[in-house]
Amino acid sequence: MKLEYDIIIVGSGAGGGTVASRLIPLAQAGARIAILEAGPHFDKSYFTQREIEMLDIFKDRGAWTVADGSITVSTGSAVGGSTLMYTGVTFRLPDEVCEEWKVDGITPQDLNPRFDRLIDEVHAIEPDEAIFENDNNRLFREGCEKLGLPVEKLLINIKECEQMGFCNLGCAKGHKQGTTEVQLPQAQKAGIELIPNCTVDRISKGKISATVKAAPMGTKPGSLSPGNYEFSAKKIILSGGTAGTPAILMRSGFQKELPAIGKYITLHPALVVCGIYPAKIKNYKGFPKIYFTQAFSKTHHHYLETAFYYPFIQTKHTGLWGQDLKYVMNRYNNMMDILILAHDEALPENKIVLDKNTEPQLNYKLTGRNIESLCHAQAQCARIFFAAGCEEAVAPAGKKPLFKKNEVDDKYLEEFISPKYFLPNKTPVASAHLQGGCRMGRDGKTSVTDSWGQVHGHDWLYVADASLFPKSSHVNPYLTIMALADRVAEKVKS
Amino acid sequence: MTAEFYKLQYFTGKRLQIFLAIANRIIPAGNNSPGGGTLETAGVVDWALQKMPLNLRGKFLLFFSVIEFLGFFFGGKPFSKNRDDTKDRELRWLENNPLRLFRMGFFGVKTYICMGYYTREDVWKTFNYDGPIVGDKPYVDSVIRGICQGKVKVIA
Repeated sequence: MKLEYDIIIVGSGAGGGTVASRLIPLAQAGARIAILEAGPHFDKSYFTQREIEMLDIFKDRGAWTVADGSITVSTGSAVGGSTLMYTGVTFRLPDEVCEEWKVDGITPQDLNPRFDRLIDEVHAIEPDEAIFENDNNRLFREGCEKLGLPVEKLLINIKECEQMGFCNLGCAKGHKQGTTEVQLPQAQKAGIELIPNCTVDRISKGKISATVKAAPMGTKPGSLSPGNYEFSAKKIILSGGTAGTPAILMRSGFQKELPAIGKYITLHPALVVCGIYPAKIKNYKGFPKIYFTQAFSKTHHHYLETAFYYPFIQTKHTGLWGQDLKYVMNRYNNMMDILILAHDEALPENKIVLDKNTEPQLNYKLTGRNIESLCHAQAQCARIFFAAGCEEAVAPAGKKPLFKKNEVDDKYLEEFISPKYFLPNKTPVASAHLQGGCRMGRDGKTSVTDSWGQVHGHDWLYVADASLFPKSSHVNPYLTIMALADRVAEKVKS
Repeated sequence: MTAEFYKLQYFTGKRLQIFLAIANRIIPAGNNSPGGGTLETAGVVDWALQKMPLNLRGKFLLFFSVIEFLGFFFGGKPFSKNRDDTKDRELRWLENNPLRLFRMGFFGVKTYICMGYYTREDVWKTFNYDGPIVGDKPYVDSVIRGICQGKVKVIA
C-alpha cells in the first residue's frame, strides 16, 4: 500500500519527538507529517513496576549486548524511545565537551539558548533536597562531602512526581516528562500522525519501504493494519537512534558514498557498585537520583551519579553468585548504589554493522583507558561508601568483589580494585547511552551529516538523534539530543 | 481466566535436573529462603525463553549440556552428580575462563537464574522487598504473574 506525506520522521524518542514538536507550525499550515516508530505504543497503564514484565519495553527484552557479549545495552524499543525508561536526567552538554567536538556551528552560544528553552518545555527542575533526598542520595552527598568531593544536583524533568522509584520500568503515573508526555501529544494534537510497530526497511529519495506489525497485546494499536507499506515524502528525518539510524542508511546503500556510517560509537560504559549500610535504608523508595560528582571527569574520565535498582537487575550489577550473592541480596534494604559513567573515546573500529538478518550489530571493545577509568571509579565509590558509613562494599573488579571496610587500607584501594581483576564477560559492564554512528562534520569521508543534521549530498535526508554525536557527550545525552534535533528542525523548516 | 498450571517446555527431563543443580549453586538455600533450584525458578526462566530469539535460545540451552559434561573433568561425574564444592569449582572455572565463550555462557546462565529467582514474590518476602507500589496492577500475560506469585503451579 502507498501513503503520501510531505515529511516523515523515523523514530519517536528524544530526537524524533523534538523534531515533531518543532514541525507543528508546518502541520498546522497543512503539511502532512508522520512519525514511524518501530516499537509498540505502551500507555502508562501498561507499567506494572515488575521487572520481568517490563522487559517488553527494552530492545531485545533487555538482553541486547555488544557483539562479544561483554556489555549489556539498554535501549528503548517503544513509542518514546529511551525517554520511556530513563530516569529523567537532563544535562546540558558541558561547554568544554562542545568545544572538544569541533563541529562548525555547534557552539555553547548556539546550544545554550536551546537548552534553556527545552529545559522549560520539558519541565526540568533542580529537585528540592527537602523533598527528594532519600537515604541513597543523602549518603552519597554526605560521603562526598566528607571526602571533599564536589557534589552537584542533577536536573530532572518530572512533574508532580510521587517518587515511586520505578522510573526505569516506565512511569506508571506519566509524571516523567519524556516525549510520550510532552512532545508527541502536542504533535498528534496538531495533526501529525504517529504510526507505531512500523519498521523502516529501506529509504531512497522520496520513498520509504516499511513493514507494520500487529500491535502486541495491551499496547495502543496504530491506524495501519499489519503489512508492507511504501511511504512517499519530500523530506525524511531519521531519529532511530545510534543502532537504528545507521542500520537504515546501511540497508539503503548509503555506506558506499559515506563510509563513516555506523562508526565512532561511544556508549558511556557503566558499572553500578554498591555499599552495605549498617541500618535499613530502603533505597528503592523515593526518587533514585538527584546528585552527581564530576570530580574525576577531567583526570580519570568518569562521572559518578546516585542511582538505585530493582532486585533482579541489582544481582546482575553485583557480578556475584553463590553465598556472596545471597549475603548481599539479604541486605537489599541496606544497600547504597552509585552509577559509574565512563567517558569513552570515539574510535572508528567501534561501530554498528549489519548482521545476517540486516539487523544492527554493535561491535565495540573497551580500551585500556576505559577499563582503568571504570576501576578507578570503583575505588572512589568504595571511599564514598565507607565515608558515608557503609561497612562493606561490592566492587566487581575488586581482588575480592565483596569486601569489608577494614579489609583494605584506604591507600591500597586502587591496587585492590584494578584492571588486573577486570575481566570482560565477567565484570558486568552496561550501557544506556549509545551515541555516534552518523557523526556530524564537514567531510563526507569522516562524517555523515553536516552540523544541521543534513546527510552529506542529500538535501532531502536528515538525522536527528544521538547518532549525530561526533564524540561522547560525557553526560546523560537526552537534552543534547533534543537541542541537536531542534537545530535539525530549524533547517528542515527553512 | 488464569491458568492453574504452567508446564515447562524447555527444562524437561535431564535438562531440568541440570538446571536445578546449577541454580542451587548460583543461589544456595539459606536458613529462611529457598535455593534457586526450584520448579518455580525454572518456570520463570522457561517462560522467558519463549521470547528469546530461536538461535540464542538454542545456544543458551546447549550450555546446560556443556556444564553437565564438563563435570566429568572436575569430579569424575556429570555436573549434577558432583559434590557441591566440585560444582562450585567448575562454575568458577567457567566464570574466569580464558575462553570468552565459556565466560559468556556462564554469565548468561547466571543472569537468567537470578531473573527466575529474584522476580518471585515469595523470594521478595525473604529479604523484605515490598515490590511494586502500584500493587497487583494487571499485566497482559497472567501466566508469568501467576508463576511469580505462586498462583500458577509449575509442573515438569
